[in-house]
Amino acid sequence: MIPLEFVLIISSVLFVIGAAGVILKKNAIMVLMSIEIMLNAANINLVAFSSYFGDATGQGFALFSIGIAAAEVTIGLAILLNLNKLRKTVNVDDINLLRW
Amino acid sequence: MDILEYAWLIPVLPLLAFVFIGLFGKKLNDLNGYIAVGGVGAGMILALWTAFELLTTGRVYSTSQTWVVLSSKYTLEMGVYLDNVAAMMLIVVSFIAFLVVVYSTAYMHDQGPRRHRYFTEICLFVGVMLGLVLANNFFQMFVFWELVGVCSYLLIGFWYERPSAARAAKKAFLVTRVGDVMFMIGLFILFTQLGTFNYEEVWHALDTADPTMMAFAAFFLFGGAIGKSAQFPLHDWLPDAMEGPTTVSALIHAATMVNAGVYLVARSFPIIATSAEVSLFVGAIGGITAFIAATMALCAPKIKGVLAYSTVSQLGYMILGLGAGAFLWHHGHHVEGSIAFGAGLFHLMNHAFFKGQLFLGAGAVIHYVHTEDLAKMGGLGKYMKVSMITMLISCISIAGIPPLSGFWSKDEVLAVTFEAGDAGLTFMVLWVLGVLTAFMTAFYMFRMWFMVFGGKPNEGTKHATEHGHHKHEAPIAMLIPLVVLAALAFGSGFSLFIGDGFFGAVYYEHAHALSVGERLTEVFTSPLTYISIVAAVGGIVLAYFSFYKTNISAEKVVSKGFPKAMHQLLLDRYKFPVAYDKIGYVGVYGFSLLLDKFDRYVIDGIVNGIAAFLTAMGGVTRKLQNGFVQSYATLLLIGVSVIVILLYVVGVLR
Repeated sequence: MIPLEFVLIISSVLFVIGAAGVILKKNAIMVLMSIEIMLNAANINLVAFSSYFGDATGQGFALFSIGIAAAEVTIGLAILLNLNKLRKTVNVDDINLLRW
Repeated sequence: MDILEYAWLIPVLPLLAFVFIGLFGKKLNDLNGYIAVGGVGAGMILALWTAFELLTTGRVYSTSQTWVVLSSKYTLEMGVYLDNVAAMMLIVVSFIAFLVVVYSTAYMHDQGPRRHRYFTEICLFVGVMLGLVLANNFFQMFVFWELVGVCSYLLIGFWYERPSAARAAKKAFLVTRVGDVMFMIGLFILFTQLGTFNYEEVWHALDTADPTMMAFAAFFLFGGAIGKSAQFPLHDWLPDAMEGPTTVSALIHAATMVNAGVYLVARSFPIIATSAEVSLFVGAIGGITAFIAATMALCAPKIKGVLAYSTVSQLGYMILGLGAGAFLWHHGHHVEGSIAFGAGLFHLMNHAFFKGQLFLGAGAVIHYVHTEDLAKMGGLGKYMKVSMITMLISCISIAGIPPLSGFWSKDEVLAVTFEAGDAGLTFMVLWVLGVLTAFMTAFYMFRMWFMVFGGKPNEGTKHATEHGHHKHEAPIAMLIPLVVLAALAFGSGFSLFIGDGFFGAVYYEHAHALSVGERLTEVFTSPLTYISIVAAVGGIVLAYFSFYKTNISAEKVVSKGFPKAMHQLLLDRYKFPVAYDKIGYVGVYGFSLLLDKFDRYVIDGIVNGIAAFLTAMGGVTRKLQNGFVQSYATLLLIGVSVIVILLYVVGVLR
């Protein structure tokens, strides 16, 4: 069995990659994908601890998380589509309407 | 029955008349006057009875009850304090008030519904003035003091539709207010130092009180007297106050209210006497006022103007007498100080009679010719015999010719001033001023008398005799007060020779009883007496030659050069009205502008500054809300990381 630490390291790395993507990527779709990576990092954590403690609750949560992530991506992509239609851009730097 | 127990009724009776006329008088017309006569007359009878009891027995009667409890230590009281000084004031105030109200029933006859207001206010005035006299403490005195001020304001502005009358009323009120504020400061000092306002308690507490604070208290109390008694430099309201009806001038601005200031000085005499400087100041203000007011009276164009300046001048004499008394008292000459105290009050009494008479006589003249301008009168003696003779008596009296009343008191004031000159040289100067004033007094009074009754009839007289409704002497209700007051102007000085004499009855602590012979020897062996008689006679003779015989033309004298400039300066009242306006404009308006600037720039500045600071800070912090989602995410990440790291560090440390 793979030791817990390895899995945690993998998930941490994934999370940081995702976070970096959210912060640095200019394309909104890439940002959305980076968020997915972060969610998956969390899912890996859930599953890993579930297996480590021999408790299925974590796996159940991971399933919910995947479902919610799918729904969220749908909404996110819908917003992006409309945004693209209205503003002809998916660059997050151009979308700064929510400010003072 | 002890009449003194009912003394509190004295002010109440006129006040009842005030309430009755005020509430029901609107439709009563003539009856108003009779009710006022009744109320004031009843008060007078009681006052005269009380005064008789006080002066014959020499008793001092006082009652008081707690009015306001401020704390366990400080209470205000209301009460009655009756002594010889109060007795004299009661006689003067109630008697003259009664005569003036009788006179008013005829004088105000043509005023229609206005009489209602007039008699209401005059009854209120008489009531509160008597209340002022009866007060047993300085605070109660102050309350009535303000009330007589209000009555003065209302009655000066009786013909309020005339701008000049409205202005004069306002001026009188505001100028006396300056004095009242000083009076209040004096009261505060007294109360904080001694914890009481009661006359007797204050007088007894003086020995142990802080002399510096008492000097301040005396100074500020005297400030109140300066305002009320129209002393230099707050004297300028009194000539303007002549805008009111002549009866009001006679009652309020000659015989009673203006004497309240002198009465205040008499009541605070022991406090003033604690300080040589303040005594000197009181005397100096009196002497200076007497002198400059007399100079202004020399060329006053209106009959009431002459009388107004004369009143200011004579009030100066009274203050001078009291100041000299306090000075003598301070230097240990207790008997002389007490005589000087009496002399000031003696002059107050005599002045009230002859000046009341002169004003009422002037009222009769104005009633006849319908003008106040002296130049338009002349030759009236033919038509107004009673007024002429009674006013002549008063003029001789005020000029100071023996044996009329003005002579005795003025001579006594000058004598005590001369005596005070031994202790302080300033009083010698004041004595010289006093003698010059006596000369000018005789001159201006006879100038007025000759211009009114002597010479050829001028336009006003002609107009009145040809077209006037009444080509006869004033009505009987006006003549009786004239005659009675003239009799008193002639004879009130003889109170020196009744019983122990005036100074044996009205005094401060040391009665000075002299028999008739002793008194006469004392007066007529002193060279000072002859100096003042010579001054008076000189003034009369000069007036005779310049305004009756017209050997000396007054117009020619003042037509050019220095006399002309001086004449103009006197007509301009030494520029005092201008100075008041300037002080009002520069001082008060300037100060207001300063406050406006303060409000605008400092107060508003602080408020606006806080707002601007917050806006600026908001301007800085809102830049964080830049709308870039990624920067939010970055901040979020940093924040969470910091929290996690902190939790870890804290966990390790623990």
